[in-house]
Amino acid sequence: MSTSAESTGVTRRHLPGDLAMWFFILAELSVFAILILTFAVTQALKPQMFSESRLLLNTSTGLAMTLSLLTAGLFAALAQEQVRRSRSRHGAVFLLMALLAASVYVVLKLTEYRHLLASGLGMEHNTFFTLYWILTGFHFLHVVLGMVILGWLAERCRRGLYDANTRSGFESGVLYWHMVDLIWVMLFPLVYVLS
Amino acid sequence: MTVPRVLLVCWAALATLSVCTVVLAQAGATWLLSIAILLVAVGKAWLITDGFMEMRHAPRLWRRLMLSWALVVASVVGLTLILFR
Repeated sequence: MSTSAESTGVTRRHLPGDLAMWFFILAELSVFAILILTFAVTQALKPQMFSESRLLLNTSTGLAMTLSLLTAGLFAALAQEQVRRSRSRHGAVFLLMALLAASVYVVLKLTEYRHLLASGLGMEHNTFFTLYWILTGFHFLHVVLGMVILGWLAERCRRGLYDANTRSGFESGVLYWHMVDLIWVMLFPLVYVLS
Repeated sequence: MTVPRVLLVCWAALATLSVCTVVLAQAGATWLLSIAILLVAVGKAWLITDGFMEMRHAPRLWRRLMLSWALVVASVVGLTLILFR
């Protein structure tokens, strides 16, 4: 059933996707690391403001957004497994499910943004919200781009353009989505939870 | 274990750890709890890296680079919490 190293006993180490995508991911992670550290240092300098401002965010909404992104990541990974078995159209179905799960994040995030703006908690409210909007806004743009990529991959899968031998581009696209997930699991505790 | 099963186990662990993060936050606001929350975040990042991104099969240098990202970020965030408390 599986084509993985676990089931086939293959021990050769292999980097999924294109090498260029990995350098791109490292560059993106570096940018987010700088933003996250900026947030952390500013929080250390203004702990009272950050604690009080964080109370204005809904942790449950943050948790729901986390679960939706992780679920999208699961479906994207399952789609990749289908493509590796040359079952491209099954992969397209999983990608559509990934898009559906990611849409939950988008709806929740936009609702949160609208609520914050309606409450006067825009970018200029205080330092916490300046960094909140920069960090989460920049991540949100990555999510949207990730969804465009997943949609494009789904369409190509539907047309049967990927199989076990021509999957490198597909893997690169899915890796981009996992990178978005990876960044969020560090952002979520920092922005919504830590005090 | 088949790949879909590995992925499902990863997802279940990630979801559980996400809930743990919120539970830990509701347990109080001590720096020890904050460190625990950061450790949970590193665990989640490693699950994504090794599970979803399949870095467990990747060349060691790349795997170490990816795993170290979350560890370095969480360590520096943790240091700011400890040094400025």
